[in-house]
Amino acid sequence: MKKSLFALAIALAFGTVASVQAQPAPAAATAPATIDDAQIAHIAYTAGQIDVTAAKQALKKSHNKAVLAFAEEMARDHAAVNEQALALCKKLGVTPADNPTSQALAKAAAAEQVKLAALSGDAYDKAYAANEVAFHQTVNQALSGTLIPSARNEELKSLLETGLKLFESHQMHAEHLAQSLK
Amino acid sequence: MRCTMMVFASLLAMSGWAVAATPPTKAPAAVKAATPAPQVHVIVVDTMQYGPMPTGVRAGDIIEWVNRGILEHTATARDGRFDLDLKPGASARMKATAGTVEVYCKFHPTMVATLVVK
Repeated sequence: MKKSLFALAIALAFGTVASVQAQPAPAAATAPATIDDAQIAHIAYTAGQIDVTAAKQALKKSHNKAVLAFAEEMARDHAAVNEQALALCKKLGVTPADNPTSQALAKAAAAEQVKLAALSGDAYDKAYAANEVAFHQTVNQALSGTLIPSARNEELKSLLETGLKLFESHQMHAEHLAQSLK
Repeated sequence: MRCTMMVFASLLAMSGWAVAATPPTKAPAAVKAATPAPQVHVIVVDTMQYGPMPTGVRAGDIIEWVNRGILEHTATARDGRFDLDLKPGASARMKATAGTVEVYCKFHPTMVATLVVK
């Protein structure tokens, strides 16, 4: 499947995290350049909010029963996970910290919302489903490859791991949906 | 005295034989085997999947669904015989009825399992 511009933008946004992670620590540095738990929490929360927003748009625009069911699942699940994330941050005394990755994610998602808003009917349904596949693929790769390994707090790491399992299921559902709309 | 002891020993021996020869009372056990008490089988739901389905479930047994995940799920029979809502941290019980039934989550169609009740 050809990757959409949105998926590319999302991948690039997460790529900024990976590139920061990949930078070798300067010899004189006392700590390697890395993202901290507050930033990780913000990135994960932002990704969740992006999918809730996309789902709400789908619930308004689509008339396809399968698309609507999927959108309801995304809105409900990502809101629930984000609620857990906020509760954990509160418990840990961590304030999610905005960062370039979160900003790039939000910017790419906003642009995609505008693009999707111009579509309707089958064209919209297909575009939404395709974006959901690409979005979950990219987010899951970022979770497993960067965010989970970088998380220092065990409870945050555990929540991210749970989130990854949930989102892998979402990806599978999105793939089935996209396939059914072809 | 020696004779008395021998008689006593003989009596003990006879009494022991008598006890050993007494057949155990089987009637209550036989009744229980015919109508076993309902068993409770717990199925844990977590991280987008149903835990292992219990084996040896008989009609009349109790199935307890326990949602240990952070998302809401359902345990819904494809043939419509049951439909349980499972909020995060909640559990729900139902009486098992005979048959093989496919179970799925209404919210997450990738969650499926097969429950066998004899």
